[in-house]
Amino acid sequence: MFYRTAGQFKTTYRDDQALFPIRQDGVLVAVILILAWAVFPFIANEFTFQTLLIPILIYSLAALGLNVLTGYAGQLSLGTAAFMGVGAYACYKMLTIMPWLDPIIAVLLSGFFSAGIGVVFGIPSLRIKGFYLAIATLAAQFFLVWLFEKWAWLYNYNASGAIQAPNITSVFAGGNYVSGPLATSFTQYYMVLGITTLLTILTINMTRGTLGRTWKATRDMDFAAELIGINLMRSKLSAFAVSSYIVGVAGALFVFMWRGAAEPNLFDIPLSFTILFIAIIGGLGSILGNYLGAILIVGLPVVLNTVPAALGIPLESAFVEHLNLMIVGGLIIFFLIVEPHGLARLWGLARQKLIVWPFPY
Amino acid sequence: MKHFTKLAAAALALTVAATSAPADETEELFVPNLAYRTGPFAATGIPLMNGQRDYALMLNARDGGVGGVKLNFEECETGYNTQKGVECYEKTKGQAIVTQPWSTGITLQVLPKTNVDKIPVLAPGYGFSPMADGKVFQWAYNMPGSYWDAASMILKYISDGDLGALNGKTIAFLHLDHPYGKEPLPFLEAMAKEHGFTLEPIPVGLKEMQNQSAQWLQIRRMRPDYVVMWGWGAMNAGAITEAVKTKYPMDQFVGVWWSGHDADLKIVGDKGKGYKAISFSRPVLDAPVLADLKKYVYDAGDSLSNDEERSGVFYNRGLVISMILTEAIATAQANFDKAKIGPEELRWGLENLNITEARLEELGMSGMVAPFSTSCGDHTGHSGGWMLEWDGTKFTQASDHLTPDSAVIRPMEIEGAKAYADANAPWPVNESCDAQAG
Repeated sequence: MFYRTAGQFKTTYRDDQALFPIRQDGVLVAVILILAWAVFPFIANEFTFQTLLIPILIYSLAALGLNVLTGYAGQLSLGTAAFMGVGAYACYKMLTIMPWLDPIIAVLLSGFFSAGIGVVFGIPSLRIKGFYLAIATLAAQFFLVWLFEKWAWLYNYNASGAIQAPNITSVFAGGNYVSGPLATSFTQYYMVLGITTLLTILTINMTRGTLGRTWKATRDMDFAAELIGINLMRSKLSAFAVSSYIVGVAGALFVFMWRGAAEPNLFDIPLSFTILFIAIIGGLGSILGNYLGAILIVGLPVVLNTVPAALGIPLESAFVEHLNLMIVGGLIIFFLIVEPHGLARLWGLARQKLIVWPFPY
Repeated sequence: MKHFTKLAAAALALTVAATSAPADETEELFVPNLAYRTGPFAATGIPLMNGQRDYALMLNARDGGVGGVKLNFEECETGYNTQKGVECYEKTKGQAIVTQPWSTGITLQVLPKTNVDKIPVLAPGYGFSPMADGKVFQWAYNMPGSYWDAASMILKYISDGDLGALNGKTIAFLHLDHPYGKEPLPFLEAMAKEHGFTLEPIPVGLKEMQNQSAQWLQIRRMRPDYVVMWGWGAMNAGAITEAVKTKYPMDQFVGVWWSGHDADLKIVGDKGKGYKAISFSRPVLDAPVLADLKKYVYDAGDSLSNDEERSGVFYNRGLVISMILTEAIATAQANFDKAKIGPEELRWGLENLNITEARLEELGMSGMVAPFSTSCGDHTGHSGGWMLEWDGTKFTQASDHLTPDSAVIRPMEIEGAKAYADANAPWPVNESCDAQAG
């Protein structure tokens, strides 16, 4: 019905390999982009910006980074939060050492620092795989968080050990504040959305090109990939670099365009797990999945929390919180049982059914 | 399609929920509390939250609220999680006349936004110590005492009032590795330098709270003359049981006011005898206010607490904290001559709070907190406090009224506040205040 492909003929290979071989897909993406760029920011209030729109985008971006590494290149990582921290601290140091630097440029540059650290911690992946590699990345997680706590230079010897986003304007936002308490959520949302959109487009291109195919070959069977001439070292380390870059940018956005302040233990293992869960539940090896996963894991609890009050049911706040944990936990299990390959696959199946609807074949 | 409808439904539910969030009932003062009754810190959070809540309920039942307007003392659950706290802040700030963040992390997060949102932050006995400088932190209050006050009183107590006596001694500073635990470090370091004692900071990570054997091994090797603890939640019980296990002399072990929780000490009972904690409040079990609470709240079955908890230090501190808030509301109401005050009026009330001995008597709370007053330049009040000692079954008062060394603390507060304002420039400063008048 909605997905009738009748009449859409492909006459060239180029058409057949287009990003959206079915017209409706393109329309759907366009609708979502219009919603994100032109509708949501104008109807959202402060609460929606700060608890839903901005965090969902940032978590999606971090999950996207992890997905490049784990979903596309098949290297399991438990150190995502630490790499986010590297991005955040790098951005903080750059902005305090060079106050004239535009924060958007600083955010984009800070990804290179985490990419560098990511490559260093990616070296063990050349020798070890699977769970053993996960433990090596876990070492990165513990080491880096320890470093954020102990190396006082990183947080400018602040007594509380926390970093705070200073008030800084950006030319990309027309000279408005983009970080610090004077920044409006509206501006921050557009900055986050812009960077997320940009990096998503770049990642889609990368995963569809040579690099992406190399990663997938490495993931599916590394020695076979080596036999057909893929340089495993380059493939794995480039995956670590690209992944850590995106994760680092997400970390810088996390602190500067959303939270405003961060203490070292924010980048501890629970954040790594949250992002890993987003990537797994969304669907490993998919781009769309990161967004669906973030909506489920980050957005849903916030929405659920407001439901009893909106319906006028008087429940204790702590009780709602417990209920929330149970519902979200239950949903995660439900989705994983229904479709272990994640929400993206679930959507893929639904789409396939819609294409052939009303006939089962 | 299924997903698209689901997304659309979620988006719809969102906008509906967001627009219809806490309806503004004109006949109420919305004083939300960012409570934590879940998570690793719940054990220490619950009695405080219950005390605060019961006091508000009692005022509503007995006096019809404050100045004839009922209090809407709604809780928003944070689980001591900074992210959840900010979510709660955003959710409540529309109607709220005050923010009670209940965590140093959340306070630090909310603090920069106060100048923009213009809602006072009330963080009694916690938060950022330089918040005392009202000239810089126009919207933040941490009366009746800051962490630097607490540290100063502890040093005064263990040195019998003469800090010079600590020369050559070693003090181990066992603290939660978190902005909260690091807060008193600058003050303690300055004191160590000035008075020639050795300060050994021993951090306890959030993951190691329940198992501090490594830290206590270090303490056993170091043999410090005193252990000063800045612990919270599960860390307190962990440290106290570990101290008992390593047979550290309890009378040389002193905690901050958040480390003096009855339930933590009950685990070790008699073996915890001699453990001390500084406190700006103390339970006075025959105080008239407790009789009113019993009559209007407990007997009506509205309280979430129980008798054992009600006799504890933390529950009674919760009462004091709510009293500070409602007294500020009353002060503002009297000054602006209207019952339904807004956040800006409450800010004035918090700044001109004068809790005298006579006022405490009227409230039926004599002795539960020391008298104090705030001013434009001094947002802390520096009430001082008492040393409480565990006698095996309950906390008893172990010292006379102690006061912090304001002459030393005040310049540090002003300096800290200035550094904060500089780092967050442009930061508006209230020039009409005299910050020196501490």
